[in-house]
Amino acid sequence: MHNPGYYDFFCGVKTVASHQALACIPNLLRELGASKPMIIADKGVVAAGLVAIVEEALSPAMPAMAVEDDVPVDSDVTTVHRIAKAYHGKGCDALIAVGGGSVMDTAKGVNIMVSEEAENLLDFSGTGVLKRPLKPLVAVPTTAGTGSEVTLVAVINDPSINRKLLFSSPFLLPDIAILDPRMTLTLPPHLTAATGMDAMTHAIEAYTCLGKNPMSDAFAMEAISLISKHLLPVVNQPDDKEGRLALAVAANLAGIAFSNSMVGMVHTLGHSVGGVCHVPHGTCMSILLPYGLEYNMHKSGPWTGELLLPIAGEAIYAATPRELRAEKTVAWLREFNEGLYKATEGRHSRCFKEVTTRDGSPAVPREALGDIAKTALGDGSIFYNPEELDFEDALMVMEAAWEGLPLDMDFVKTA
Amino acid sequence: MGHFRGVSSGSRVMQRRYIAFMLWFVGRAIVAASKADKDVKQEFEAFPDGFTFSLGSLPSGPRMVIQKKAPGKVRYLGQGKGEAIDLNLTIKHLQAFFMILSFQESTATANARARLFVDGGVPEACAVVRVMDIVQVYLLPKVIAKLAVKRYPVWSWRRHILGRSVVYLRTVTGI
Ligand SMILES: [Fe+2]
Repeated sequence: MHNPGYYDFFCGVKTVASHQALACIPNLLRELGASKPMIIADKGVVAAGLVAIVEEALSPAMPAMAVEDDVPVDSDVTTVHRIAKAYHGKGCDALIAVGGGSVMDTAKGVNIMVSEEAENLLDFSGTGVLKRPLKPLVAVPTTAGTGSEVTLVAVINDPSINRKLLFSSPFLLPDIAILDPRMTLTLPPHLTAATGMDAMTHAIEAYTCLGKNPMSDAFAMEAISLISKHLLPVVNQPDDKEGRLALAVAANLAGIAFSNSMVGMVHTLGHSVGGVCHVPHGTCMSILLPYGLEYNMHKSGPWTGELLLPIAGEAIYAATPRELRAEKTVAWLREFNEGLYKATEGRHSRCFKEVTTRDGSPAVPREALGDIAKTALGDGSIFYNPEELDFEDALMVMEAAWEGLPLDMDFVKTA
Repeated sequence: MGHFRGVSSGSRVMQRRYIAFMLWFVGRAIVAASKADKDVKQEFEAFPDGFTFSLGSLPSGPRMVIQKKAPGKVRYLGQGKGEAIDLNLTIKHLQAFFMILSFQESTATANARARLFVDGGVPEACAVVRVMDIVQVYLLPKVIAKLAVKRYPVWSWRRHILGRSVVYLRTVTGI
């Protein structure tokens, strides 16, 4: 065990995981003293028929009082204000968020408004501004990846001042997370692959970066093992219900791990590729993950090596000498990406030059790499990376990840 | 028991004094480096005029306030005199702050262990941590600075020797 000398760990979310987990919501809400829930979702979730499944699970015991289903792709203050008004108008007393990160963030914002009877969401931005529990919030994730059902932050855009507002407080944690495989059953293979690799990255960075601690480690290990075992089978056979449940559980475990120990440079670079070129987060993660581990190898190699066990299994772990395990882990992850590439008929990208926009043009032009490297220097996750990452370093890693070539270890500055 | 108590509260006072002194020293060194070091200069150039940040400890421990007045003009404002702070870097408790300022622990490690709160823009916070890292390399002997920063930088001897003497001189004399 690695002893960090000091750590704190918190997860106050009650988790219910089963093939019929949605059916538990009415009872769970009643225990929290609520009976008139509002559902918050986005159009995509409605179109996939997921809100209908949730509504059916609620009725007749506790039908939803209202359904707000037009959360934009990036949560914003106007939407939060509007939904909060509807909540009061319909006399609701709890929130059920059905969707991905943006829906969760919007629901958290709405919860601040309706619980604090606030006039303006802005008054509550920042860290630790909230002082008391909010209304009951149930999180129903519809991807197995982000882990936002167990995070205590919300990022909400304010277009009027062109800023992203950050809200952070333990009171923003949902009360209940519902992991029901029906919510991810219709997710197409390439999205399953990308979101699954996002969860994998959460767990691996939690285990190998500076915020590492014994409790996060335990969660991360199990998450990595589940994803390694189930991701490829589920991508090959999307209606594999057991596999879907395992992935939902894994993403949840990974979410708990990284929200307590944070992530490192894979997210630092990934956030800026997303910001500059609008590449989906999971795609950035699967491409950059092997590079992050290679770059930090001289610092966190022993921990990376330990991950060979949950990733490749007992036989391979035992047959690989200790000093070669870290490299083997990286090689294995590259093969894993290759497997996902084949299983999705090339829709799961292995390097940035392969990523295309909807109309088929390259999403990450080579000229953008400088911009990406520069943006990366302003991302908070850089704090948690074991090794320093300056502009030149970031550019070097981005260039390799663009081409799809392993890092030239001679260029990694180690002293 | 009384004996132990005396020792611990005594060392607390010493820690407080040490922190107050180091803040004064590091604060002035940041100002000095903003003139003498190209990277620090560049970081400050990216801040808007009037940008003010503070580094201090909870609950009401010592702190330092630094302000960029105008291009090329950076001021150390001591404990601050009621200026609006754009970026507040706060360490959870005095003991942890002492660990950082006695260079037993890097800023990055402290943050990783969730003892550093950032209130303000994250990109600016990243820039301030980079500035602190550079200043530490200037102020400290290599064996100690190596513990304080993640990667001890490869600098030309000019930057090490000349830069260091200029930063030291300006820190002490305040010019
Ligand atoms: Fe992520």
